[in-house]
Amino acid sequence: MATKTLKTAQSIRRFAMVIDAKKCINCKACVVACKAENQVPLGVFRNWIGEEASGEYPRLRMSFDPEQCHHCADPSCVRVCPTGASWQREDGIVLVKEDDCIGCKYCIIACPYDARYHNPETHTVGKCTFCSHRVDRGEVPACVETCPSKVRVFGDLNDPKSQLHQLLATRRYEVKNPQTGNGPQLYYLL
Amino acid sequence: MREPVWEFLIVNYLFLGGLSAGLYFASALATWIQEDGHSAYPRIARWGAVLAPWPVSLGSALLVLDLGQPFRFWKIFFHFRWRSPMSIGSWLLVAFTFLSLAYLWSWLEQSERQSLLARIPEKIRTRIPVRVRGWLDLDASAWRRNLAMLGFPIAVGVGIYTGVLLGAVQARPFWNTNLVAQMFLFSALSSGTAALVVARLLDQEPVELKEMRFLYSMDITLIVLELFIVLPYLIHGELSSLAVKHALAQVLGGPFTIVFWMFFMGVGLLLPLAIELYEFKPVILGKGTFHIQPRWALTAGGLVLFGGYMLRYVFVFAGQATGFR
Repeated sequence: MATKTLKTAQSIRRFAMVIDAKKCINCKACVVACKAENQVPLGVFRNWIGEEASGEYPRLRMSFDPEQCHHCADPSCVRVCPTGASWQREDGIVLVKEDDCIGCKYCIIACPYDARYHNPETHTVGKCTFCSHRVDRGEVPACVETCPSKVRVFGDLNDPKSQLHQLLATRRYEVKNPQTGNGPQLYYLL
Repeated sequence: MREPVWEFLIVNYLFLGGLSAGLYFASALATWIQEDGHSAYPRIARWGAVLAPWPVSLGSALLVLDLGQPFRFWKIFFHFRWRSPMSIGSWLLVAFTFLSLAYLWSWLEQSERQSLLARIPEKIRTRIPVRVRGWLDLDASAWRRNLAMLGFPIAVGVGIYTGVLLGAVQARPFWNTNLVAQMFLFSALSSGTAALVVARLLDQEPVELKEMRFLYSMDITLIVLELFIVLPYLIHGELSSLAVKHALAQVLGGPFTIVFWMFFMGVGLLLPLAIELYEFKPVILGKGTFHIQPRWALTAGGLVLFGGYMLRYVFVFAGQATGFR
């Protein structure tokens, strides 16, 4: 009974991430953590910090914008993949079966967030996995754990008690490029 | 500017796939039109049949080369994913290639078939069952029209597929309109017709005026149709969302402006159209005698092919440079 209950509970999880970009100081700890945790090759990235300057001296302003795979509800990359190498778990995490990937790069082009890269070592496509190996152990992704400003909050959208759920219930937020219909699960607090 | 991940191998693939579709379509049309129970333009039909399988075969090989893991290409054919344009397109290309080979076979004379079969090494040939050998030597000329009719939708499908591959990507506003598929289709058919003009003029057999009249009519029509897709594409884009307007800036003042307007629109579309209209003038005006200047015709045909290539070059590279950021 306990096992069945646990499985039932697990099957309706939907992982997502909330990002409070205003707290970001662009220290790049999350980028380094991701590289270290997932052995990402040199020259390519699973997450990165966008930078934008606005205004003029003496009222100059820098915005930092953490980016990564949005693990969409209806991901373009999964749709266009000719071999099914790109796939989505029930809990929403989008992954790539490296053995099935032929390296056609169609998913890289199809992603509206430019979140995928061509792995120069394996010549297949790589991307953010929400550190699924850690999530399966009940931990949070490496980038979430390491962030000194607590910019990122990872959790289950369907768990009303989670911090993520409470943040979304009480704060205003936006998602990027909703017009593509992908249903991104990266929420940016306003 | 984003770094492109699809480069010239994909440009070549799209061009060659479209060229084969156009060659087959023009050849099938030439076969379809009959006089006294025979093809009205047998040499055109035969040239199209002979040429059609090879560009698409070469293009598919280039696509495989472009893969990060070329030796895994067969995995595409262990899945059928109806939401993936590449999956559907790959199956379509295989069907088209086999069909065009069958069509080619139906246009071979018996002596040609037998000389081809004789090239198979004796060791292998003796192992082929007699029944299969009989099939290979079968006179399939009676099937030409049926194969032509069967091939029309598949050739059109291949021509459309090369456009849908790009047009289906919502993340690239430069591409994401159904006008792209139509543009690529008319460009493919026009390129195929132009290739037949070139092939026919390079043929040793003297050219018949009615053949050139057929090819010129077709090419002029297709170029005009292509023109009436490109212009709506630009107008539609300018009247669309800001993201699309920004994307179109690639060819309206951006880095691909000269390539698009000079090499594709000017040299590849309007110039050959002008040449062909000039030579076709007697037919249109109904006075004077229609005749062909071979050098002018070869120039026009070559320019159409050049324009078809430039269109795909601009689209592949400019499209990847656009996005929503």
